Order: sequence, then structure tokens, then C-alpha cells
Amino acid sequence: MNKDRYLAIAVLLMVVILFIESENIPEKTSWQAYGSALYPQILLGIIGVTATLVLLKSFINIAPIEQDGSKKRLVFDWKVFGIFVIFGSYAALLPILGYLISTMVFMVTMQGLLLEVNTPKKWVVNILTSGIMVPLVYVIFKFGLNVWLP
Amino acid sequence: MGESLLQALTQVGDLYTLSLIFAGVLFGIIGGSIPGFTVTMAILVVFPFTFSMDPVSGIALMVGVFVGGYSGGIVSGVMLGIPGTPSSITTVYDGYPMAKKGEPGRALGIGMFASFFGTLISILMLVFFGPLIAKFSMNFRPWEITALIVFALTLVAGLSNGALLKGLMAAAIGLFITTVGFDRNSNLRFDFGFEPLSDGFEILPVMIGVFAFSQLMSNVQSLGSEQSGKKEGISTSLKIPYRKIIIDLSRQKINIIRSSIIGGLVGALPGTGGTVANFLSYDQAKKLSRDPSKYGTGIPDGIIASEASNSAVAGGAFIPTLALGIPGDLPMAIMMGVLILHGITPGPLMFEQNPILVGSIYASLLIAAFVMVFCQILLLRWFAKISKVPQQILVPSVLMLCAVGSFALNNNLFDVWVLFIFGILGYLLWKAAVPLTPLILGVVLGNNLETQMFRALELDPSWTTFFTRPFSAFFFALALISVVFSILQNRRIAHTLKPKATIEARP
Repeated sequence: MNKDRYLAIAVLLMVVILFIESENIPEKTSWQAYGSALYPQILLGIIGVTATLVLLKSFINIAPIEQDGSKKRLVFDWKVFGIFVIFGSYAALLPILGYLISTMVFMVTMQGLLLEVNTPKKWVVNILTSGIMVPLVYVIFKFGLNVWLP
Repeated sequence: MGESLLQALTQVGDLYTLSLIFAGVLFGIIGGSIPGFTVTMAILVVFPFTFSMDPVSGIALMVGVFVGGYSGGIVSGVMLGIPGTPSSITTVYDGYPMAKKGEPGRALGIGMFASFFGTLISILMLVFFGPLIAKFSMNFRPWEITALIVFALTLVAGLSNGALLKGLMAAAIGLFITTVGFDRNSNLRFDFGFEPLSDGFEILPVMIGVFAFSQLMSNVQSLGSEQSGKKEGISTSLKIPYRKIIIDLSRQKINIIRSSIIGGLVGALPGTGGTVANFLSYDQAKKLSRDPSKYGTGIPDGIIASEASNSAVAGGAFIPTLALGIPGDLPMAIMMGVLILHGITPGPLMFEQNPILVGSIYASLLIAAFVMVFCQILLLRWFAKISKVPQQILVPSVLMLCAVGSFALNNNLFDVWVLFIFGILGYLLWKAAVPLTPLILGVVLGNNLETQMFRALELDPSWTTFFTRPFSAFFFALALISVVFSILQNRRIAHTLKPKATIEARP
């Protein structure tokens, strides 16, 4: 299966789920010309039709129009996966540990992943960048802009 | 208008606002200088800092970033041979060869002044055409506005590099995202029993998630290939030969004016932006040149065509945003999101209801153009050094700022999760080669489209009215033409690629 087929099937599945959910939207009242479900249902219809056409097109043997770097895009990247895992953990830890600790952990871990910290120099860069950036943003938001951070 | 402009100048001219414009320009140039960072990302990162500001100050800061960002792309283009933003791709064609010949200061200086003149000319276009278009569009009623939004979305989807279907799908997904939560009749939609969804999604975390994650992850994926094929860097010790640059510019007056007008006009068209302006202007300059073969070898003409046009997009893109409420390009879609979050609805009425704010945008653009040249002259060699900041440090820092910005919007952790979820969605869609600009535009225009469409239907329940009112029918016809044109263009591209693909498919 090519990427277009995966995309179309995933989108069509979502459309079906959301269309069923749209049935729970309250019916139109006497003073409404159309109900609240109509607009999202029109959009789901457009998404469904375009996804079906993408699906059909994926079966037709025509030359694919190459996007910039499309081959590069299909490669599974462990670093990207790691970034998402670290970011998800950061979002979960933010209310528990607070901004300063969780962001410090996030920055050090993320740079550790990307810089492949294996020399003392890289460790210094990692700690220094995190040590400057995290408190700086905290001070700017909290005292400069009066924005509360957890 | 004159009185409002004077009042706006007084507001923008105070020390606090001037320092914000200065900071914005500085950050914009830095953002534009770093390859892969882009103007859009710079705007997204700075936006949270405007939350506690009044609209004039917030807009002044953002305009500074906008102007600085478009001019900053030249730095990495000349010094590294890598365009800092997609809108400075053609700058590299002549900027990098000139730098390699030992004249990086000349290349940067020419680009810097061309950017300055481009911005000035586009401000003139904005001041002249903006109110005229707004005045004309005052006659637009819900049917026309609905049709105009549909046209803008189909145009953007159609311009998505041969992916019309995916572009239309992305636009519809963007529009759909705005239907989550309570609608204007207080009916709850798609909350799945999860209470935080009842308020719907904030525009900002959705936009940051979709755009920033896909952009940063693509940068991360490129790390390996860039390291293996790194271009030869130019020394960052620069000397700017001002006399030579003045001679270069005085010989290119027509080129500057033509490229700036192209940039301003392209910027005013929905869905085009700096990249299109850049290529179109470079192409025109080359075609009209006495010696086209010299283009690409490091001549001032190419740098001027490229930089004047991409900077002129700044003023041009404000025309449809302010006058019609339709953003001209992706950075402008984000700027429109900024205005909406500050409680301002861009559109024809803005010129009547918020003349001081409109005037402050003009004034901020003008001041930012001067600040940009000032910053570039003083700090050029530092920008050249900053352009070498590695992605390994940049990516975590930007993601951290995105998270903090999303949280600070409402002091709500749910927005950080929205950022994360839409980050995953944006990345997956990018992997599937789905253009993201239509999606972001859909998110920005979604609420307005629904409001206008149903206002029209409340006034007249018949759907045919959309096609019987002249301007509404005209915009729908344009939307149809843009789709048909895109289909024909895709077929032509597919036809040219077919023989190549057949050869590659053979075992």
C-alpha cells in the first residue's frame, strides 16, 4: 500500500466516526433555518469525497507527482519518535513538577537526544543552553509580562 | 484618515512601542537568518509575548518580526548557501556565488537595501489600495463573504504543488476543526463527553502544533543529510562596500521598482506569498535582462530582484488581510490569528471601526523598514554567526517556547495537549505529503465562514441566492476556475513526469 492509500483509509475512517457522532448534535429548532449539524456534515462530506478520490487515484497506475523530499518523508526516524515521547512526557509532568524543573528536564533530555551527548563539550553546551534558556523565559514571562507559569 | 494616522504615529512613536518594533525586527532577522526556522516560526514564537500587551503594542512587535523575518533570509543564503526562509531561495542563486567570489559584504548590503526599498514600495501600495478595496468590499454581504472565503481556500489548495485533492481535503479538515465545541446557537458539537472540548480549540495551539512540529521534525530528519553534504561556509568577518552598493542600486532602479511591485501584488493574492514572489520576480528580471546568462553567477541584479520582491510581500499581504479579512499567505494567516486573539476582526469594517489600529500597522511597517536597515548595518556580522546555530539546540528551545506560549494563552494545560495532538497530526499529514497551508487557513477562516454562510441562509433560506448575486457568483466562478486550472496544471506535470517514472520503475 502506498502512503496515499493509508492516508485516504485513515481519513475515511475518521469521517465515518465523526459523521456518526454528528447525529448526536441537537436537531434544529423552529427559529433555525438549518440545524447545527449541517455545516460539519457538509465539511465531512467534502473530506469524504476528496479522501475517496485520493483512494481511487492511488489504484490508478499513473506517474505520481513527486513532492519535495517525499522519499525522505517516508523514512521512520527514531529521533522524531523520541521527540514526541519526550514532549508528551513534558506535557504530563508540567503540572506535577512545575515549569522550572520539568522544562529543565525536557531541555536536557531533548538536547541529549539530538546532540547525541557523548563528549564533555557537548554536555557543557547542553547544560549551559538549558540553564540559560529555562530561567530566562521564566523571568520574562513571570516578571516582564505578568504571565503565570506553573 | 489623516488624523487617525497622526494619532497612530503618536502611539507607535513612543519609546516602549519603538523598542518593541526594534526587538521584533531583531528577532525576525535572527529567525530569518537561521535555515529552517522561517518567518512563520518566528511569528509563532514571539506571539505569546504579546498576550499582556495592548493591541497596538502587540501588533507593532509582530509587524517588526514580519519585516525583519523577510529580510533575514538573505544572511544564511549568502553566508551558507542555504536559504533562511523559502522566500529567499533565489537570493542564493546570485548571493552565494558573489560571496564565494570574496564579496559577501556587497551581497548582503545589496540585499539589505533592496529589502528596504521593497518594503517601502509595498507600504505605499498598502496605503493606497487597502482603503480602496475595503471601501469597495463594504458592499459585500454574507453571500459574497462566504464566496470569497471559499475562493481563497480553493486558490490556496490549488496552489499546493500538484496536490489539489489533498489541499482541498486539508482545507476542509481545517474548517472542520473549528466546529468542535459550542456553536453560535449554543449547541454542543463533537465534544465526545470530554468537558475541555466544549470550548473548542484555540487557534494558536492548533496552528503552532500543525506548523511548528512538522517544520521542526522535517529539520530533524534533514540533520543527517545536511551533515554529510555541508556547503562551504563563508568567513563571517565582513566589510560592506557602501559606495559600490550605492552604484549597484542606482543602476538597478527599474529592477527594484518592478520587483517590489511584483512582490506587493503577489503578496496581495491569497495563498501565494514570498516564495512565489521570489521566483516570479527573479524570472522576470532574468527574462528582461540584456544578458540573462549572467544570472546565477553572482550579479547584483539577481539579489535585488529576489530581495526587493520577497520583502515587498510584507506590505502586499496586509492588503487582503486588512481590507477583506482574507490572509495573503501563511505568515499573514498567523498574523490574522494574532489580531483575532487580540479581539480585532480584520475586514472592511476595520478601516472604519479601528482607523488608529490600521494607521499603527502602516506606521509600524514604515518604522520597521528603517529599523531593519539600521539593525542589518550594525549587526550583520552577528547575524551571520547566529545563522550557524545548530538545529540540535534550536529544536528543543523552539518546542519549549511553543509549549510555554500555548499554556500562557489561557493558563490552561489543555492547550499544551492540543499543541501536542495537533503536532502529531501535522507531522503525519506532512509525512503523507498533505499541504498544511490550506489547513491552517481553514482553521483561521472556519468560524467566519460558518457565521457568514448561515447568516446568509437566515436572511434567505434559498441556496441559489449564492449563485444569483453577481459578486457572489463571480467569486464562486473564480473558485471553480482555480480548481480547473489546478487540475490542468497537475495533468501537465504528471504528463512530463510519466516517461521519467516509467524508466525509474523498470527493474
